[in-house]
Amino acid sequence: MEATTNGILVKAQAVTKVYHTDEVATHALRGVSTEITAGEFLAVVGPSGSGKTTLLNLIGALDAVTEGRLEVMGKDVATMSKRQRADMRLHSLGFVFQAYNLFPVLTAQENVEFVLELQGISERRSERAREALDQLGLLEFADRRPTQMSGGQQQRVAVARAIASRPRLVLADEPSANLDGENARILLDMMHDLNVREGITFIFSTHDPRVIAYARRVITLVDGRIDTDVVKKQDTDVNKE
Amino acid sequence: MPGTIALKYAARSMTRHTRRTILSMVGTGVGCAMALVTLSWMGGATEMQVRAVAESGAGHLRMVHQDWPDTQEPTLRLVDWERALAAVQALPNMNKYTMRAHATGLLAFGNRTAPAQITGVTPERELTSNRILQRGALEGRYLEKDERGAVVVGRTLARRLDVQIDDALYATLSGKDDIHSAMLYIVGILDTGSEDLDLGICHITLKDIEDITGIPGVGEISILLDDEQYMKAAETRLAANLPPDNTVITWREVHPALAANVDSDTAFMRLMAGIVILVVALGIMSAQLTAVLERRAEFAMLSALGMKSRQIISMVMIEAVIIGLGGAMVALVVGGSCAYYLATRGMDLTSFMDDDLGFADVLFDPHLYGSFGAWLVSYALIIAMATTICATLYPAWKAAQVMPADALRTTG
Repeated sequence: MEATTNGILVKAQAVTKVYHTDEVATHALRGVSTEITAGEFLAVVGPSGSGKTTLLNLIGALDAVTEGRLEVMGKDVATMSKRQRADMRLHSLGFVFQAYNLFPVLTAQENVEFVLELQGISERRSERAREALDQLGLLEFADRRPTQMSGGQQQRVAVARAIASRPRLVLADEPSANLDGENARILLDMMHDLNVREGITFIFSTHDPRVIAYARRVITLVDGRIDTDVVKKQDTDVNKE
Repeated sequence: MPGTIALKYAARSMTRHTRRTILSMVGTGVGCAMALVTLSWMGGATEMQVRAVAESGAGHLRMVHQDWPDTQEPTLRLVDWERALAAVQALPNMNKYTMRAHATGLLAFGNRTAPAQITGVTPERELTSNRILQRGALEGRYLEKDERGAVVVGRTLARRLDVQIDDALYATLSGKDDIHSAMLYIVGILDTGSEDLDLGICHITLKDIEDITGIPGVGEISILLDDEQYMKAAETRLAANLPPDNTVITWREVHPALAANVDSDTAFMRLMAGIVILVVALGIMSAQLTAVLERRAEFAMLSALGMKSRQIISMVMIEAVIIGLGGAMVALVVGGSCAYYLATRGMDLTSFMDDDLGFADVLFDPHLYGSFGAWLVSYALIIAMATTICATLYPAWKAAQVMPADALRTTG
């Protein structure tokens, strides 16, 4: 994926998304405009139905905007072919979902390795997968299947899978929603560490105060519109408490 | 080409619902087994009919005068038959041959008469190549080489003329330009079990028919090959070495009605096999579609990870290939066993044949034996694989069309 000017990874201009079900039109996003730069640790918050997941899906090229313009890493997503969008997801984006969405028939290592295989990486693939698991403290669970792990462990495997291919941007949709306090803290610590040490940009959709505490920037959506966009002054431990 | 993890994913996905996977394999296998048995039956029936026609006198191939196919004139004789015979004898995969000449005439005994087609034969060749003689019950004896004044008639003809062994028949035959007559002594009465067939049997030696009709030579050379599969090559080779004004025809041209019957039987059995396979395919499609819909979130995740539609389709198709392979194994065991039984024990069709095994000068077997051979392995694989792959194309396409945003939507 091409480098972006000014380090801007995401540029949304008056983005609108309307879902049509039967004869009912639901406005999930109404003219959202924002810019997200490389290295951010950003939380998109808001009540249920405010458009958080929709925004993440649009940024992740999983869905198409109805109106407006959305550039991800310098490319207008609307003009990209299905194949180009898949390539962007494969090589530049990582995803973490609330329901973990690991492949139940594969072990933790295979789940992580799968992404590398899709990228066509054959050299040191196993080692890289194990390194990613090690970063998340899961090396000893490498040969376990998701059903043999706790929710927190599964979500960490999902993060390992998301970062194994060294993406520039990780989109995490309610990653801590199913985790208890301790597991949520461990997960967020690890993602924060990856952000700080490796410069991976994280965008969370959440209404979890624990995640908001870690974020350096918080965009609040209400009824599909940006209500507030707050950049915190410092990334301090105080925020996480 | 899917990678090792993708292959593992596909293979292990088969173990999620083991019972469904096994049922899919068994369903595919049983359906394909039915198709195999149908094909075995069809192959056996076709082979049996062709063999019956060929061995009842038509041969796989027949060399005749070039006008015969259009006119069916019995007095037509081969041009330079000795050269034609040499070409037949040089034919690879030629099993047996026999020479005949025909004439139409009237047989009389006392005040009884019957029209007949009299066939001049070479007895030693006719006995070894004609199943009507081999399988029929002969009262008296058959003709001897170059025997003069002797005739063998069928039981029905004998009954119509009210003749017995050693009775003298007065035969009036149409010759080249004239009518010719001769006295023929009955040396044998043949009972094939078919009244129609027995009515048409009237054999004298080739020498006799030449003498009586005044037409020298041979009317036809019927050729039995080792197998019907050599027919096309033999026909081509013979056609290239034919003396002028002769032609080579196949059993299909000798018995067009039977050929049409064989073709319609084959088409019907293929239709039956096709319907069975279609039903199986719809079952597989339904099961695979259910499996795909159950795993929508997974396919959405694969798509979200960047897997291309083609790769998702390939992964689902791998599962189809595994089901197909399992189905082929079941088909081989079930279908192979049934086909083996059909090939070794056969089926007695006597009750369906109304005690009449003869039809249009052909003596059929009362037992049908299925076809059995190495072809079953390739057919089982091809049918099972093709069925499952074709039936999975739509579910695989559906899997590739899953919209990740829709399938993964949780909150927001």
